[in-house]
Amino acid sequence: MITLSQIRSAATVIAPHVVRTPLLPFGSGWLKPENLQPIGAFKLRGALNALARLENREKGVVAYSSGNHAQAVAFAARLHGVPAAIVMPDNTPPVKIEATKALGAEVFIVGITERVERAEALVAERGATLIPPFDHPDVIAGQGTIGLEILEDLPDVEAVVVPMSGGGLISGVATAIKSLRPDVRVIGAEPELAADIADSLKAGALVRWDPLKRAQTVADALRDEPSALTWAHIGKLVDDVITVSEDEILGAVADLARRARLIAEPSGAVAVAAQAKLGGAGVAVVSGGNVDPGLLARLLAT
Amino acid sequence: MRLVTLEDIHAAAAAIAPHVVHTPLLSFDSSLWIKPECLQPIGAFKQRGAVNALSRIPSEDRARGVVAYSSGNHAQAVAYAAKILGMPAAIVVPNNTPQLKIDATRAHGAEVFVVGITERESRAAELVEERGATLIPPFDHPDVIAGQGTIGLEICADLPEVATILVPVSGGGLISGVATAVKSLRPNVRVIGVEPELAADTAASFAAGSLVRWDAHDRARTNADGLRAEPSELTWAHIHEYVDDVVTVTEDEIRDAVKQISRRTRVVSETSGAVPVAAYLNRELPAGPTVAVVSGGNIEPALLASILG
Repeated sequence: MITLSQIRSAATVIAPHVVRTPLLPFGSGWLKPENLQPIGAFKLRGALNALARLENREKGVVAYSSGNHAQAVAFAARLHGVPAAIVMPDNTPPVKIEATKALGAEVFIVGITERVERAEALVAERGATLIPPFDHPDVIAGQGTIGLEILEDLPDVEAVVVPMSGGGLISGVATAIKSLRPDVRVIGAEPELAADIADSLKAGALVRWDPLKRAQTVADALRDEPSALTWAHIGKLVDDVITVSEDEILGAVADLARRARLIAEPSGAVAVAAQAKLGGAGVAVVSGGNVDPGLLARLLAT
Repeated sequence: MRLVTLEDIHAAAAAIAPHVVHTPLLSFDSSLWIKPECLQPIGAFKQRGAVNALSRIPSEDRARGVVAYSSGNHAQAVAYAAKILGMPAAIVVPNNTPQLKIDATRAHGAEVFVVGITERESRAAELVEERGATLIPPFDHPDVIAGQGTIGLEICADLPEVATILVPVSGGGLISGVATAVKSLRPNVRVIGVEPELAADTAASFAAGSLVRWDAHDRARTNADGLRAEPSELTWAHIHEYVDDVVTVTEDEIRDAVKQISRRTRVVSETSGAVPVAAYLNRELPAGPTVAVVSGGNIEPALLASILG
């Protein structure tokens, strides 16, 4: 399990390179807009912390991701002057491939089933270090800095609502919050269509859903599942889970654009949809803003 | 004429701090940051000036409330400030105001009076007279200007290496405050105003060296509906004293800037809020670290959809 002191140390390390996102009042609660980070997602925090602690810098880093983790690692590697190789599946939108290349990373496009294998091959060939998207203490500690900031900015916070997928974000945030303020509720949010953690918490043990089933949700960044490490944090520290429908998720994306002037991706709006169901003065973490402009336009036109 | 001072702006910063968001600077590209005032609770910088103006009303006058006339962000700013400071607010809006904005103003607890467009000022004056209320003008007031100036303090504190600041210009309250703060603290930082070509009266004034008036119908041609007002004597005095240049942008450049802001910084800008980014993308400006003030984000969702789609 990671500790508060690891998260505090991460906060010092990443401070010069991340946006200190403000809390924004929204309805009866608040938003923590991590979509405002330079790569448009909270993932930058964990990647920066992991890169800062890297040994063997000249041999570089490897990551596999079709999403925000790819850009987070590419951004952090460029900042630290470390070569980065990113393996992306061949169904990745070209705009994300271009964005990752623009950050100076070498990009390898492979079939969806070959991602891990190819990444491991690169690690072996180059002696590079693999930076996983959530299954790593330094990554979790980096994401946990969000929890420190929330407590600093809103000492009387009642609840924090956090989207869950691989569980890196909520593991870090819950560790920070529960270490400092055990009375503050930490609530996970999941799409109904990818509610494997909700099931796991009910069962009291890790329940697995088929990846094809989890892939049905429009919240494309929430199709992952926890590792043993993140589940250990979640099972111990998370108070409750709220699941939301696809309509509620898309409604929250439109609501954020209209009422908070924030561009959120569907995954980034899941906690906001959950917070709306929960009521009260909680803080919803808006985890990312890399939405397809066409989808956002359709949601706003109706 | 007494100009607003750095001390006025420091005092405003202390007064408004509990009620406004200290907006972070967001990286747009390697040399541009935006100051996203669209993230204020009412979606625009106007909240700063309104909160400062209301917080300076003497306690014996507060119960009689405030009056404002506006179809736009100032209406919501005054309504919001009155709500948080516990004062009654009466807002006069013209009858062509979108229902959405009327509802938003009422949602802050303000009493809304809908009148013909030509009767706004007279109705507001009547309300002031009847109630003994205080009129809060949208820009022609030192406390309002000082409140907007807090944006300049924040930029200088958060990006000490800033070389140029780009600010939208309409009535001139925002740029008057920002330029006063910035030139007092850092005289070498350039402050450049930006206007739509279709409402470029301040650019014309700047070129002439004295206040030039454009017909209100001409200024109303721009889609940037927050930039159709003109400076007062007070704001022009600040602009003339402190502003380095005023540049103009086209309607197409403004629309494109709304799109670029959404893609690169994930915030929603209204057309009026995007003019400084339009200038950065399309005009020759001095090199060096630059900040564009994105002044507001209250755009019709259908318009945003058409720009993004």
